[in-house]
Amino acid sequence: MKKRIIIGLACFTAIFFLGGIYIIGTIQKATSTLDRLITLHQVQILREQLLIDVKRTQLDLAFEHTRYAKGIDTVITNVVLMDEEARRCTGCHHDARTTAKIMGLQGDIQTFETALSRILTMRAGDSRVLAEHDRAFQAGGDLINQLTSIVVSTKAGLEKKTQTSLEGIGSMKTLLFVLITAGPILAIGLAVIFIKGITTPLDVIVQATRKVKGGDLDFRIQGLRDEFGEVAASFNEMASSLNEQMRNLQRAEQMKLVGEMAAGLVHEIKNPLTGIKASMQVLIEQGGFGGEDKTVLLAVLDETKRIEALMKSLLDFAKPPMPHPIPVDINNILESTIAFSLPYSSVAPRTPGSIQTVKDLDPSLPSTLADPGQMQQVFLNLLINALDAMPEGGTLTVGTAAGEDRRIKIEIRDTGKGIDEKMREEIFRPFFTTKHKGTGLGLAVSKRFVEMQGGTISVEGNKGGGTVFRILLPAADP
Amino acid sequence: MKKLLIVFFVGIGLLAPWIGAIGDEQKPAASGSTFVIGLSPERNIFRQVERYTPLTDYLSAKCGLDVKPKAFTQYKDIIDGFARPGLDGAFLGSFACALAHRKFGAEPVARVEGLDGSSLHHGLLFVRQDSGIKTAKDMKGKRLAFVDSQTVAGYLLPLVYLRSHGIKNYKAFFGETYFAGTHEDVIYDVLEGKADIGAVKSSVYHELADQDSRIQWKLKILSRSPDVPETTFVLRRDLVPSVRTSIGDALLTMHDDPKGREVLKVFGARKFVAASNEEYQPVIDYARQLGINLKKYDFPREQ
Repeated sequence: MKKRIIIGLACFTAIFFLGGIYIIGTIQKATSTLDRLITLHQVQILREQLLIDVKRTQLDLAFEHTRYAKGIDTVITNVVLMDEEARRCTGCHHDARTTAKIMGLQGDIQTFETALSRILTMRAGDSRVLAEHDRAFQAGGDLINQLTSIVVSTKAGLEKKTQTSLEGIGSMKTLLFVLITAGPILAIGLAVIFIKGITTPLDVIVQATRKVKGGDLDFRIQGLRDEFGEVAASFNEMASSLNEQMRNLQRAEQMKLVGEMAAGLVHEIKNPLTGIKASMQVLIEQGGFGGEDKTVLLAVLDETKRIEALMKSLLDFAKPPMPHPIPVDINNILESTIAFSLPYSSVAPRTPGSIQTVKDLDPSLPSTLADPGQMQQVFLNLLINALDAMPEGGTLTVGTAAGEDRRIKIEIRDTGKGIDEKMREEIFRPFFTTKHKGTGLGLAVSKRFVEMQGGTISVEGNKGGGTVFRILLPAADP
Repeated sequence: MKKLLIVFFVGIGLLAPWIGAIGDEQKPAASGSTFVIGLSPERNIFRQVERYTPLTDYLSAKCGLDVKPKAFTQYKDIIDGFARPGLDGAFLGSFACALAHRKFGAEPVARVEGLDGSSLHHGLLFVRQDSGIKTAKDMKGKRLAFVDSQTVAGYLLPLVYLRSHGIKNYKAFFGETYFAGTHEDVIYDVLEGKADIGAVKSSVYHELADQDSRIQWKLKILSRSPDVPETTFVLRRDLVPSVRTSIGDALLTMHDDPKGREVLKVFGARKFVAASNEEYQPVIDYARQLGINLKKYDFPREQ
C-alpha cells in the first residue's frame, strides 16, 4: 500500500508538474510569438513613419521658396525627427541581409540629409543652388522609392506572418483548453482508483471482523495484497488463535464436566467394585471351584482389576491430582522406570533379548522442578507404548539432553510399526486407542501431566521406522 | 518757471541711471524656462545637432535648466539672434564671436580645447592635387569656395591672403566665388570638383582628413594662416549673472567630472578653457586690414 501511495502521489505530482510545465511553456511560446509580432509591427510602423518623415521633408524641400514653405526651424525639426526615426528603425534588425539593406538605407538617408544641409546653408549663384536643389530632390525621391519598396514588401510578409502566428496561437489555445479540461478529469479518475484501492480492502477487513464477531471463527480473509495482505494475515492468525482458544475452552469445560462425572462415577463404582473384587478373591482362595469355573472366576477378577485401573486413569485424566514439584533428576526417574517397565509390556516379547535398550542419558543434565510420581507415570506410559509397538523386537532408545532456552529434552524412540501421520494429532485425545485392550487415556493423561509440569510433549516419525516421543521440561534454576 | 524746469531736468538727471537700468533689465533666459544655445553651421547642421545634444543634455542636468540646441543655417542669423529674445548662448567661430560682441555685446565664456590640447586653429587655403594651381596667380578665373562671410578661416583669412598677393577685387579675379555654408561642404566641393580652391579652418579639415583618406591624398594645402581662437561659447549680454556663472562653471569644469569627460569625448574635445574678448583681437585686426567696420559689417552676398 505504501508503494501504491507513493506511486499515486508521484503520478499526481508528475501530472501537475508536466501539465504545469506544458501550460507555462505554451503561454510563454504564445507570449513570445505575440511579442515578436508586436515588435515586427512596431518595426513596420517605424518604417512607415520613416517614409512619412522622408516624404514630409521632401515636401518641405519642394515648397521651399514658395508661399507654402515652412520655417527653417520646422524643416530642421522634421529632418531631425526623420533622422531619429531612421536610427530607431535601423536599430531593430539583426540578420546580415537585412542589416546590409538597412545600412544602405541609412547611407541614403545621410546622403539626403547632407544634401538638405547643403541647400539650407549654401549661398551661391542660382545655377549652383538649383543644381544642389535638384540633387537633394533626387536623393529624397530615391529614398522614398526605396522605403516604399521595403514597406510594401515587408507589409505583405508581415500580414502572412501575422496570420500564421495567430493560427498557431489558436491551436495552442485549443490544446490548452483540452489540457485544462482533461487534467482534472484524469486527476479525479486517479483519485477514485486510489481511494478505491484503500476502501475496498478496508471493507473486506470490516466484513471479516463482523463475521468473526458473529461467531464464524473459521472465516478467513483471502485475496488481499501488500500491507492489507499483512493485516489480513494477522487477522487470520488472530481468528485461528481465537478458534483454538475457544476449542480449548470448550474442551476444558467438557473435561471439567467429565471429571466431575468420572469422580462421581468412580466414587459410586469404587466400593461395590472393591466388594466384588474381595468376594472373587475369597471365592478363589476358598477353593471348591475347579476347572472351567475357576478360570471364569479369575477372568472376572482380572476384568474387575481392569475396571479399577480404568477408573483410576479416568480419575487421573478428568481430575488429575495437583502436582508437588521438587527438584528431580530426570535420568534417575528414567532409569528406574525403564527397569520397572520392561517386564510389564502388555505384549512382552517371547524371546528374551529381542528388545535392545539403548540409554543415551546426558550425565550433566540439569535438574528440573517436577512431580516425580507424575513424571514416572508419564515415562511408564511412553515406555510401555514403545515396547507394545515392537512385538517382533527392536531397539528402544531413551535419551536426555540439555535443550535450548534452559530446557531439558527427553526422547523415547522405538523402531516399531510407527504411527500414521494423520493419527499423530489424535493420539493425545482421550479414549483414542489402537490397542485391543487399551483405555485410550494413557497418552491423554501423560500430556496432561507434562503440561502441568510446564512442559510440552510431541510425537514424530523415527528415521528408519518407528516413533519418537519428545518431552521438553523447564530446567530448575541453578 | 525757470526753477521748475531746473528741478525737472535735475530730477531727470538723477533718475537717468534708474531708467537705464530698467532698459538693461536682466533676463533669466530668453525663452522662459528653456535655455537656447545656437549652433553655427560649421559642419552639416543635422550632425551639429547630433554632436551638441549630449553637451546640452549635460548642461541641463548640471545647471537645472532645460538647455536646448538650435541649429542655424546661416552665421548671420545666429549673430542676429542676440538682437532679440530667443537665443541665450551660442557656439561661434572667432569672427562670428567678435561680431556678436561688437554688435550685440555677447560675451565669450569658454573656448573649445581640441584633443590635441590646442584651443586655436588656423585658416587653410587648399586645392586639388591635380588642379595645377600652385600660386595665387594660378587661381585666376577659377572657382573659389568660401564657408561664410562671418567666418575667419572661411572668409577673412583667404581675403587677407589674396590681398597680400595683390588681389584686391577677388570677384573680378575668380571665375566664380560662393559661400558653401559649412567648412565640410567646402572641403567636399573641392574634393569632388565642384570648386577649384577652398578656404576652411584647420580643425575641421584635419578631422575630416582622419576620417576620409581621399582628403589627404587628393587635396593640397597652399597656404596656412596664423592661429586664431577655436570655436567659442558666448552668452547674451543681459543674462542673469547666476545663470551665466552656472553655465560657465559647468563648461569650464566638466573635464573634472567623469560624466563630463564622457560627454567631452563624444563631443571631440579635451576640455573648455576660459575665453576673453582680448583673445579675439587678431581677428579684429584681420578685419581692419580688410577695411571692415565690425559694428556696421553687413553680410555680403555672393552672386
